[in-house]
Amino acid sequence: MAKYIVKRIFYILLVMLILSFMIYSIYSLMPGDIAAQTATEEVKNSHGTLKYEDRYAYWQKYYGLDGTLVEQYLRWLGVYPFSDGAYRGLLEGELGKSTYYNKPVSEVIKAPMKNTVLLNIFATILGLGITIPLGIFCAVKKGSKRDIGIQVGTIIGYSLPTFIIAILFLWLFSIELRIFPVSGMITPGKNLEPGTWAYFWDEMYHFCLPLIIMTFCSLGGMTRYVRASMIEALSMDCIRTARAKGVKEKVVIYSHAWRNALIPIVTLVVGWFLGIFSGSIMVENLFAINGIGRVYYQALTNRDNDVILALQMFYIVIGLLGNLLIDILYGFIDPRIRVNK
Amino acid sequence: MSNNKQTTKKEQYAPETEQLMLEVENTEKVTEKSDLQTESNQKTAQPTNKFTAFFVTVGHGVLKALKTVWRWIKRTFWGASKELVNDDVFAVEKLESPSKMTLKAFFRKKLAVAALVVLIAMFLFVFVGPMFISIDLNATDTTQKNVAPNYSMRSVPRRLKNNIRSISSFGSFTVGVSNDNEMFIWGDAKLRVAQINLKELPEGFDSNKVAFAAAGVDHIIAITTDGKVFGWGSNNSGQYGGEENLGVLPEPKELVEGTIDVSNVSELVCGNQTTAIVMKDGSVYAWGNLNTTRNLSEIAQLTNVEKIVLGNSAAIALLKDGTVNIGSNQQFTLTALEGKKAIDIAASNYALGVVTSDGQVYMSGIFENNEDKVPVLENGDKYVKISAGTKHFAAVTENGVLHCWGSNFYKQTQLDSTTNISDVYAVSLQTYAINDEAQLVKSCGLKGYLMGTDNMGRDMFARIVHGGTMTMTIGAVAVIISTIIAIIVGCVAGYFGGWVDMLLMRISEIFSAIPFLPFAMMLSMVIRSTPLNDNETMRIFIIMCILGVLSWTGLAHMIRGQVLAEREKEFVVAAKAMGVKERRIAFKHILPNVISVILVSLTLDFAGCMLTESSLSYLGFGVQQPQPTWGNMLNGSNNSIVIQNYWWQWLFPSIFLGISTICVNIIGDTLRDIFDPKSNSER
Repeated sequence: MAKYIVKRIFYILLVMLILSFMIYSIYSLMPGDIAAQTATEEVKNSHGTLKYEDRYAYWQKYYGLDGTLVEQYLRWLGVYPFSDGAYRGLLEGELGKSTYYNKPVSEVIKAPMKNTVLLNIFATILGLGITIPLGIFCAVKKGSKRDIGIQVGTIIGYSLPTFIIAILFLWLFSIELRIFPVSGMITPGKNLEPGTWAYFWDEMYHFCLPLIIMTFCSLGGMTRYVRASMIEALSMDCIRTARAKGVKEKVVIYSHAWRNALIPIVTLVVGWFLGIFSGSIMVENLFAINGIGRVYYQALTNRDNDVILALQMFYIVIGLLGNLLIDILYGFIDPRIRVNK
Repeated sequence: MSNNKQTTKKEQYAPETEQLMLEVENTEKVTEKSDLQTESNQKTAQPTNKFTAFFVTVGHGVLKALKTVWRWIKRTFWGASKELVNDDVFAVEKLESPSKMTLKAFFRKKLAVAALVVLIAMFLFVFVGPMFISIDLNATDTTQKNVAPNYSMRSVPRRLKNNIRSISSFGSFTVGVSNDNEMFIWGDAKLRVAQINLKELPEGFDSNKVAFAAAGVDHIIAITTDGKVFGWGSNNSGQYGGEENLGVLPEPKELVEGTIDVSNVSELVCGNQTTAIVMKDGSVYAWGNLNTTRNLSEIAQLTNVEKIVLGNSAAIALLKDGTVNIGSNQQFTLTALEGKKAIDIAASNYALGVVTSDGQVYMSGIFENNEDKVPVLENGDKYVKISAGTKHFAAVTENGVLHCWGSNFYKQTQLDSTTNISDVYAVSLQTYAINDEAQLVKSCGLKGYLMGTDNMGRDMFARIVHGGTMTMTIGAVAVIISTIIAIIVGCVAGYFGGWVDMLLMRISEIFSAIPFLPFAMMLSMVIRSTPLNDNETMRIFIIMCILGVLSWTGLAHMIRGQVLAEREKEFVVAAKAMGVKERRIAFKHILPNVISVILVSLTLDFAGCMLTESSLSYLGFGVQQPQPTWGNMLNGSNNSIVIQNYWWQWLFPSIFLGISTICVNIIGDTLRDIFDPKSNSER
């Protein structure tokens, strides 16, 4: 097992290297040369005492943009020195500088990251809490009217894009029923102090509708997968044997069948968790929630290249970590893999 | 293997049935002939009824022929009739090819058939619709923004029709006054954000005692017969009420508080949040928003005015001495008018038309819609009156002929060369032609919008039709690209195995680890900064490619798995033994066996690609305005004001997008159920 995990980790690291290089080369194609920007500004402020070419070369060296693409990439990673001999890269914890906020990237994404992770974890818990029982129910009552009704509902659920569901829910809950606030993170004008319970509850209140929407959007697909894998599990020979032995139906479903159904579901849960991260881009922008999806969107519109690069890498790291998690969980759940490798 | 067996059996069986059918047809022909003979015998016997008999014979013949043709059609599509099968001595167990079985199983499911019908209707709507519904992508019209779905914009009330004093409009609603002093309002007269309904009249206002009334873009001004000036509607830029504000020329105090001498009023006009009253003695009252009409205060100072027109961004006055005064406005050049006497003026959004005393029309300004192509008059006819909507002009000649020119997008100029007209009201996007008895002869132009307009005044229906074409095309092309990549990768990896398989699967794993939406957004951003961005089609094609290249991994995995299973079967061994080339085996022998997997994923991915495209466009990283897609039409709808007040702007695109994807998904799901042998055996 340990050998297997080490192997997977090694492999994931390799993929991450390849992908990050790919992303870095796309990043280098992006418009907006930070060295040129800084140099122009400096020359303008100096009223003709400084030469653009000199300053440009200086800032290019400062930001590590001289040399070949591979050199630049390695500098960004933090394994190749800048022209002054220092290492200022990812491995040293430096993600670059946001030109828009004029702050280090890590500072820009710190607070939003907290919000996004909070939102996503809540959405996952809610989603799983609803979909798994619902899926099992549908599989057990397969073909009944309630099952068919839920099936039609789930098709509609996963066919509609997030923004349509969001617009519908906004209209229903915020405008017609006036239960939830339309957007924002806290109630304006209430002047609550961060860190207090009141502040927390106000924040939670504003998270409600986005959470409902994110959960609803993920219901359709997940319920169908749980149902499908549960049906497959229920038609296995071991289930028939268990029933023939006279095992209670509850035990058959929740112990025998559910364990077998779990394998495909695990893949999906992790994949789905990752999907939510990119899905929250939409919701965060709709509700003006200060999450990384919104920061990413704004960075793209403001051409804040270093933030884009950092967040893109974050999304990839999350994706690959998810894959690693799937592999490891597989190893625990499915005994065949342990034996084979 | 079972497939092959079935088809060969069918082939053996088919020739016999064909022979049988031929025989039956022959016998039928024989009976037909004998029928004809007996009838012709009768014909000779009764020569008096020759005529009727002839018709009877022809009728019978035609009927027979039709029946035969119908029978043939039936046979080609539904196979031989039941009687034939029953009589068949060689009746064998009915065998069907797998594709036919699948089709039958599909058509047995009502939901799937309904989804298919709706989807086909949607396809027709989206791909045939653009041929009939034209669209001007770059056109925007602020006077028509946020108009609700309605068809009442040209419907003149019946009591007004034969008794017209004036018709006035600057946007989505029109005000008419009859010679009995009654005022009518028609069109979409709601200002939804301000929650004002212009059809609700102000307190103390009697719509049966109106001397003059005119409509601006968001307000109405009326002068009653006892001289009171009423104003209602939006009042955010000093449209009425005399409130002093920055950039506002306030309504004169004497009009707000006192009355006006109605017998002395020459005309009342409203423009883009502006109003002007011209008195018969040549003085002017003018007020309103100075930001839209900068020269309004100059025009208000004039003292010898005959007529005033208020365009979208300029006030123009015709003076009593026959000159045209535009104040300090730079928009129009009037050098051509020097030494000539102007008798009538009219202004569209950006153009000015002047009729001179010699019967000519001089145009000036910006000609966006061929406003300068004034019809040339024949036989020495002269123009005497001119009127202008927002994008078109209409003029009446001395002999009572109506001529229209300018934009004909909503068929505003359809009434060109109508005769016996004495007056014309070209207002907004409509033209109303009036005869000398003040009756409405004809009207043409925009009736309304089936699905309303968006915040730029563009027709939602036309944009939904054209946007659908774009959304569906992008979805289809993206899915074809991804499927082709998946088939090649899947087949090659599955068939050849070994290091090829290893390499391809690692590549596909890398691709599948890329988070879709953020990465597509970033790519779209990068492309936007390259020269490729200038070409609209190129940009859209690149979006298709991005979607296609990022979404092939799932299908490639599935195909690989299927191919791995298939390549161990006997027919592959047989093909190998016969010396068929490897590539041929992979793509010609094995691929058809995994076609069901491909078909299912093709449908489901089509819906997926449509959704991703709309999500990207919705966020502003896909197809850009003004080119519509269902996704970017919803782009402006993510705020509560739009959701609350302009329901048609988000509801209709959502419905179309939602129904299309739901239908595609239902079809895909049904196909998967049918192709899945496990689910089949269970039912």
